[in-house]
Amino acid sequence: MDIRRRFRVFVFLLVASPFFFASSLPQPPQRGEELQTSDNEIGRYGGTLVVGQRTEPKTLNPVTAADAPSREVIGRIMADLIHINRASQQVEASLAKSWTVSKDGRAFTLKLRRGLRFSDGQPFDADDVIFTFQVYLDEKVHSPQRDLLVVGGKPLEVQKVDSYTVRFALTQPYAAAERLFDSLAILPRHLLEKPYHEGRFAQVWNVSASPAEIAGLGPFRLKEYVAGQRMVLERNPYFWKVDEKKNRLPYLDQLVFLFVGNEDAQVIRFQAGDTDLINRLNSDNYNLLAKEQRNQSYELFDLGPSLEYNFLMFNLNDLKPGNLDQIAEKQKWFSDLKFRQAISAAIDREAIVKLVYGTRAVALWGNVSPSNRLWVDQTLPHPARSVERARELLKSAGFSWRADGQLLDTKGKAVEFSIITSSSNNQRSKMATIIQDDLSKLGMNVHVVPLEFRAVLDRVFQTYDYEAAVMGLGGGDADPNPEMNVWLSSGGTHLWHMGETKPATAWEDQIDQLMKQQMVELKYGRRKHLYDQVQEIIAANLPYIFLATPDILVGAKKNLANFKPAILEPSTLWNVEQLYFRQATVAGASR
Amino acid sequence: MISNKLIIAVVLLVLLQSAIVFAGFVAPYDPVVQNRDLPFVPPTRVHFVDARGHWHLRPFIYQWESLPQSVYEYKESREREYPIYFFVRANDSTKARVNTRIHLFGVEDPAQIFLAGSDNYGRDQFSRILYGGRISLGAGLLATGISLLLGLFLGAVSGFHGKWVDEPVMRLAELFLVLPWLYLLLAVRAFLPLHISPAQTFVLLVAVIGTIGWARPARLIRGIVLSAKSRNYVLASRGFGASSGYILRRHILPHTYGVLLTQAALLIPQYVIAEVTLSFFGLGLSEPMPSWGNLLANLQQYSVLVSYWWMFAPALALILISLGYFTVANAIQERLQSASA
Amino acid sequence: MKYLERRMVHGALLLISVSVFCFLFTDLAPGNFFDEMKLNPQISPDTVAALRSQYGLDRPLPVRYGRWVLSVMKGDWGHSFAYNSPVRGLILLRARNTLLLTGCATLIAWLIAVPLGVWTAKRAGSWSDRACMSGTSFFLAVPEIVVVFGLLYFVIHSHALPAGGMLSRGFEQFEFAEKITDLAKHLIVPVLTLVLASLPILIRHVRASMIEVLNAPFISAARGHGISRVRVLFRYALPAGANPLISLFGLSLAGLLSGSLLVEVITGWPGLGPLLLEASISRDLYVVIGVVMSSTVFMIMGNLLADVLLVAVDPRVRTD
Repeated sequence: MDIRRRFRVFVFLLVASPFFFASSLPQPPQRGEELQTSDNEIGRYGGTLVVGQRTEPKTLNPVTAADAPSREVIGRIMADLIHINRASQQVEASLAKSWTVSKDGRAFTLKLRRGLRFSDGQPFDADDVIFTFQVYLDEKVHSPQRDLLVVGGKPLEVQKVDSYTVRFALTQPYAAAERLFDSLAILPRHLLEKPYHEGRFAQVWNVSASPAEIAGLGPFRLKEYVAGQRMVLERNPYFWKVDEKKNRLPYLDQLVFLFVGNEDAQVIRFQAGDTDLINRLNSDNYNLLAKEQRNQSYELFDLGPSLEYNFLMFNLNDLKPGNLDQIAEKQKWFSDLKFRQAISAAIDREAIVKLVYGTRAVALWGNVSPSNRLWVDQTLPHPARSVERARELLKSAGFSWRADGQLLDTKGKAVEFSIITSSSNNQRSKMATIIQDDLSKLGMNVHVVPLEFRAVLDRVFQTYDYEAAVMGLGGGDADPNPEMNVWLSSGGTHLWHMGETKPATAWEDQIDQLMKQQMVELKYGRRKHLYDQVQEIIAANLPYIFLATPDILVGAKKNLANFKPAILEPSTLWNVEQLYFRQATVAGASR
Repeated sequence: MISNKLIIAVVLLVLLQSAIVFAGFVAPYDPVVQNRDLPFVPPTRVHFVDARGHWHLRPFIYQWESLPQSVYEYKESREREYPIYFFVRANDSTKARVNTRIHLFGVEDPAQIFLAGSDNYGRDQFSRILYGGRISLGAGLLATGISLLLGLFLGAVSGFHGKWVDEPVMRLAELFLVLPWLYLLLAVRAFLPLHISPAQTFVLLVAVIGTIGWARPARLIRGIVLSAKSRNYVLASRGFGASSGYILRRHILPHTYGVLLTQAALLIPQYVIAEVTLSFFGLGLSEPMPSWGNLLANLQQYSVLVSYWWMFAPALALILISLGYFTVANAIQERLQSASA
Repeated sequence: MKYLERRMVHGALLLISVSVFCFLFTDLAPGNFFDEMKLNPQISPDTVAALRSQYGLDRPLPVRYGRWVLSVMKGDWGHSFAYNSPVRGLILLRARNTLLLTGCATLIAWLIAVPLGVWTAKRAGSWSDRACMSGTSFFLAVPEIVVVFGLLYFVIHSHALPAGGMLSRGFEQFEFAEKITDLAKHLIVPVLTLVLASLPILIRHVRASMIEVLNAPFISAARGHGISRVRVLFRYALPAGANPLISLFGLSLAGLLSGSLLVEVITGWPGLGPLLLEASISRDLYVVIGVVMSSTVFMIMGNLLADVLLVAVDPRVRTD
């Protein structure tokens, strides 16, 4: 272009850019912008997507946010370097367009996309990345995500190679290390450096922050927040993904998060048409909505079992003598493997699937859900329920029965214990009720004690004042590494026996070795073999008696296109930039 | 003056409460037995006319059969009629114990008569409502008793002994009326050791809410004692050298009986409803024993509320009991008013 | 004035005792805000402990109480762990929404209860009176939660009213008149529930009090003087029977901030109810204490107002 033409274009852009910014219309792709092309169905621009949330987000600060609604919103306004594609469950390029791994698997060199801008128009480069990791790794900030970046006891090292290249170094090889980068939001240095150096980083970007203070690389940016009611996001005009026709994503003009109260209120609003999609439905509400589906404008999806696992566990902690002596007595039963095997044999998992989850669940005998096809051990046995086998196991362990049917232990003491469960989790309370009835057929006298969730956590983590508990874990990622602390004997979520300085049993020692090995094993085939062995040891020794995993149930308006719900969270919004409405919706209407 | 309404109310109360006391006889089944093949069945329909148009003297039922494709949907199976027999002898199977006793009505196995439908685990709601009434009414009576006793004691003492006792007691009453008791109950519940049986836990919680509720009756009693204290015959009694105890017992307390009775009739249903509220917050009686509170707590789930209308049945029992007691309370109050006028 | 001063002092003492009790209760309940993080295998226990320490949760009770009092005096009313901001802003906004709801409900309830109560008192014993009494008995017996769910159920299936919340989307762009109608539509279900819950008791009390007054000799005397029935009712009888009603009104005022928790949570009305519930469950201590204290302040003011009005209106009390 000759100099005069360039000048005119420059003046035009200069004059027009405020309009582009203010109206959040998508910016046309610039030269030098390295955009990612998304291979979805081409959509049309326009529309507002309304999503219901059970509780409102507490903060928009990506570094300190710990609750789910906050993270749901933050995930739409921020972007990460390497992302786990929720549908394929594999890593893909995000802000980093490519990366190379050193031969020993310890160093990652990421090449960042050039020419990208934050939602306020400021340029993005390696300095933002360095700043971001400085904040995450700062011990004084106490970010819950810091621990993710501490591998082998040492935090990862970050080094700037040039304006668009960053190098990360781990102290030891770590399997699937790229997965660490998922959801680590890249922060705008130009806005946050000052508060960080002034020591008030934890206070920035709370819900009352003005939209001008917040900038990110995600598909949307904050438009307004009405306390207690809704949070409105508008399209980020500088978002770095385009579709195959070079239209800049997202298609939607606005994304509204409506705070509706609780799950039932969410269902009511979805039914009334106030919200366009609904996720994390429980099976009762799903069946209810399914009954009316034909006459309505929405569609429901049952995506199959989730990655979560629910289980019954017994208190096998070392108890200090004192007021927990009664429990210590009962631990003689709990620590007997045959006792646990008998209980596992007597539990009617089919009834749990049918009565607790309305058939929308799958029974479990191990910690890996069948939907985790990459990692589940297909050879694990799934023994059918058998009260006779349970009785034989108990007999061979020295238990006997009184005339009235009550089970007695080797010393003639009646077998009686309590199961605590969170009163706010309906499903787990129901599972406990079914277990109570099942175990009464063995002559055990079981009490179900629903306690407030935090009271349960207090007993499980702190006081160890419980006998048995029904709990649930998992669901975060398909990869075994996030589960390290669940299965390592020294791990912080090694619930059945906390605070072990060395493995309490031989099989726990075995698990420790295997988990540590798979953590640094870079080849999938060998890792799978190691993890299979872990699953087999767990299923044989039953520290947890696994019960069931619920299906992922979601729903959306039929008018919403490109809706591809996934099993990993956020199951409905992970591809929000690709969503669009087939037919224009009337603005502000609720149906 | 005994109105018709009062008679109806008293008869209703007596009938309902007898059914509850004799739940073992009136209820056809044990309240904790699960029928996992029949979750959420609607109430069994009682027929007199069968499919062929014949009229039967003895009412009969059809068995519920679940529809194959859907979850929790049923239709009557017209294969066989099961007549309803009265005064049947049936086995109660709890654990391995086998008890035979007489029930008011029943049907032959394998059919089951669910007059009020079944719940999530296939347990007979009708039986559970009757057995649950024991707990709920018991809770109401216990809490009422505690509140009234405490209220009577504190109200009488503060009304009788004048300023130095009156002021602090009334301030304490204000405090009790203002504090967030739900939070305290949550804390108490979480704190209790697990070795207390669920029944004991529940009794404790009920005792706590009864103890908290002394403030209102105390105020009323205090008012009465204050006005009675200045009556002429009380002053005369004092002049004759009567002790405080004697005066309280002989002259003042009789005035409170009316108020106590009215308060009792009002408080019992209120405390039954308080038990329901406790259950809504997860503080009620725990599984598997039923109480009206934990039966109604099922309605908290939207899907249950909308799809299984028979789960409202305990609310009906609750409303009837409340209506009955309120009517009695009204009658007593009217009697009191006409007596004092 | 001495009476007023004395009551203010009592009120202040009550507030202080309530705050102390609140601290004690919340301390009793096991668990703290950061416990939920313990269940996440990817967060180390050290981070959780560090966060606890940062917010002063590991300090002894008196220290925490002292810091809270200082915060109140500074105007922050404590710090919310969840929102990471002062409690005051959170409470003021939602209190406004709650007051809108309960204010409307109280106003409507009283506007219906007084005439209706007077009317049935006049016709005591007739079938219309007995019908009214049965109606109120029925509604007294039905728990509030059943009423709310029932109303919601009808609302959903009739599509006539919004199914919850306070404002429609795009509210800020509405014209003024449209804003009012939108707000009114959202108010109907929660207000109706609250009115139905409080109306029976109000009607009964008005009726009982009026019956007592109507039997008094001075009423017959007034009628004997030829004063019209309506004038006798509202100008002579009502003020005489106002004593218990004023106490009741004081109680209504006292409950303005606290009476609608259940209704707000179920209908999604963004008031203090959902805030308190969530904060209680997640152990966001200072939010809970802030809301309880605000409710207490209202209660004290309500009772005080009632007592003052009583003294002003009823000459019989002044001789005390």
